[in-house]
Amino acid sequence: MADRVRVRGLSIFRPIIYGNTATLLTPEERAALDPSRHEHTHRWTVAVRSAASVPDSDVVGGADDLSYFIKRVNFKLHDTYNNPSRVVDKPPFEVTETGWGEFDILIRITYIADSGEKASSVYHHLKLHPWAGPGEPEIPSMDVALKAGPVHSWQYDEIVFNEPFNSFLHTLTAHPPTPLPKTKRRPVPFHIAYPDTLKDTRLAETPEFSQEMEKEEADRLEQAKKKVVAEQEQLRNTLIEKEKELQELQKLVGPNS
Amino acid sequence: MTATAADVRSILSIQAHFVPSAAAKKQSTSQAKKPEGISRELYSLIGPSAPSLAAQLQKPQLKQKPRLGSSAVRWEWRKFRNGARGDSLELGHWVKATADPDTEYPFSKYNVQTAHFIYSQDEYSKHLEVDPEWTKDETDYLFNLVREYDQRWHIISDRYDYPGGPHRVMEDLKERFCNVCRRLVRDRPWAGDEASRVQLISTFMFDKERELIRKRYLANLDNRTPREAEEEEALYLEVKRIEQNERKFKRDREELLRTLAGIDSGLPDIVEDELPTILFDSKKKKKGGLDADSPSTPVSAAPPKQRPQPSPRNPVYDALHCITHIDLPVTTPATKAAHQPSFLRTYKLPVPKAAVVPKISQTLAEINISYNRLVMPTEGNVARLNALIDATLPLVETKRVLDKVEYDIKVLKERLNVRSSAPVEEEAGGVVDAADGEAIEGTEEGRAQSVVSTRSTRSRKQRRSVSVSSVDTTGAGTSRPPPKRQRRN
Repeated sequence: MADRVRVRGLSIFRPIIYGNTATLLTPEERAALDPSRHEHTHRWTVAVRSAASVPDSDVVGGADDLSYFIKRVNFKLHDTYNNPSRVVDKPPFEVTETGWGEFDILIRITYIADSGEKASSVYHHLKLHPWAGPGEPEIPSMDVALKAGPVHSWQYDEIVFNEPFNSFLHTLTAHPPTPLPKTKRRPVPFHIAYPDTLKDTRLAETPEFSQEMEKEEADRLEQAKKKVVAEQEQLRNTLIEKEKELQELQKLVGPNS
Repeated sequence: MTATAADVRSILSIQAHFVPSAAAKKQSTSQAKKPEGISRELYSLIGPSAPSLAAQLQKPQLKQKPRLGSSAVRWEWRKFRNGARGDSLELGHWVKATADPDTEYPFSKYNVQTAHFIYSQDEYSKHLEVDPEWTKDETDYLFNLVREYDQRWHIISDRYDYPGGPHRVMEDLKERFCNVCRRLVRDRPWAGDEASRVQLISTFMFDKERELIRKRYLANLDNRTPREAEEEEALYLEVKRIEQNERKFKRDREELLRTLAGIDSGLPDIVEDELPTILFDSKKKKKGGLDADSPSTPVSAAPPKQRPQPSPRNPVYDALHCITHIDLPVTTPATKAAHQPSFLRTYKLPVPKAAVVPKISQTLAEINISYNRLVMPTEGNVARLNALIDATLPLVETKRVLDKVEYDIKVLKERLNVRSSAPVEEEAGGVVDAADGEAIEGTEEGRAQSVVSTRSTRSRKQRRSVSVSSVDTTGAGTSRPPPKRQRRN
């Protein structure tokens, strides 16, 4: 009975990533495909994983097994796929498919019954083509894509449980997540919110999330805020000057109008 | 006034005979101990009883000799500029010849400029229009004075003479100034961290009532006559004495009762209230501790069963398990309805109002920030993005107001131009007409043509109708140019 008590004033989160990795199929692979899929050009894997990566692996994230709090993950693929709603109820929570086009995948994460929480849903845009900088074609030619290697599109996120049940809190604390590496050891996973990392997508290594990325973003936001406040300050001064000018003009115009 | 051994001996002259022998005896044993710096004769006179004097004699503490060997430092009269001055006034001063002539004037750093707050009309009407006693013009006047006299309040209140305004004492001015500054700091976006903002706000705290009371009190103190002051002093001493007596009396009584009856006197405490209660508390605690030891009430053993966490707030443990603590208001009811379901951090990204989204996204895009996406949406970063958007909102708002004011200025300027050019034309009408004549003619020609053409089409259309209409159209044609010409002006 005591286990069904919520721990007040506490929230606990688990870092996860969701997204996909895509590789271009070689001509041989394409030939080996089912005739109904002869148009498919890519093999992709969409997944929900823990944020930290296994050292020296070519998989983004996935250092921890998330099944201690995730019961099931649904991936809702494009309707043109057979059986578009894929249910994965044991780790690894991922779906590998072939295809030719990008589309939005609805990912629905269901937690274990003990958590007493409802499922959470997120959309992920399946990314097949290499990230393009400004001026570059969105869908580059085969040669360019081949040279670019696997395409990674991952979003870091944190699942927050507010005032969890005592038993669930136990379960969670029994599985502390592997902390992200403090510094960047491998390329940064590209994110459209920060296009400066585009050059990292040109590197052959598998990207990895790190605490440094978080810190960098924090700095970026702080800098931006400083800039905004400075600009606001400057604008305010101009505004005050203009207001004075306006007042004088009004005085000039005022008596006659 | 300490008597040395020699003094004693001289006073007790009877025993003077024995002294040398005694001293000799002692000398034979302690001769080796005779400290340096005292002559043997003196030592034999004073004996070892005055070692402090000996020690003083031993090492005379003299000032160090000035080193005169090196040559004197040269001083020069040099021109300098004070970096803190706005003008380029050049003054001269004496400096050591060895000093670097390029160093900045060392006193310029003491010219500290206080930050001056200015506010726009928009800000004033939004945040500062709270005191009905103050108008914007008067507040402007106050702020100008404050700036002019660098927050020297006595001067400000002396010079303060707002035409048509009520009489204001220094505290009124200070209060208004502090209120406005505090509000501005509070409501404007803040670039630094929250602590520095709170600190700055606290510097603008001004309690007018308290300040008035303080000044009145000081004035009262100052206005006492010497006799009153003396009396007060005497009374104060008296009170202290009574208190002391009381304490002593109480202590004695306490002691007496304890020794005789073994109980506390039960007298009310005078000053040291805390001490007995602390004692009492500790006794209580001891009793409680005894109780806890007995197996009947295992109070201290119960909580760990319910909460097996190693410790409720351990930063290292929390960081490891990604735990954050929320300080709950004590009053929140522990109902199910209050429970907030689990969420992903990205759900909590700030959502600005739809009306300002385009402006915000554009403003932030200029500095390479996406307003609705984060690479690493951790709690801190979500909060930072939130703060950033909160800071951007007033920027967008200021831009809007600025655009409006600029537009108003343009309109007014245009009106002024129209008005200033109109009389000129009237006065020197002939010249202007001559100058403009061609242009007007040209345009009139064109217009005439067009009028003709429209007339012709119209006349074609209306040919079937009566000729009155054609007369009407020609009438309109002649009457049209003047108003157009007016509009041109």
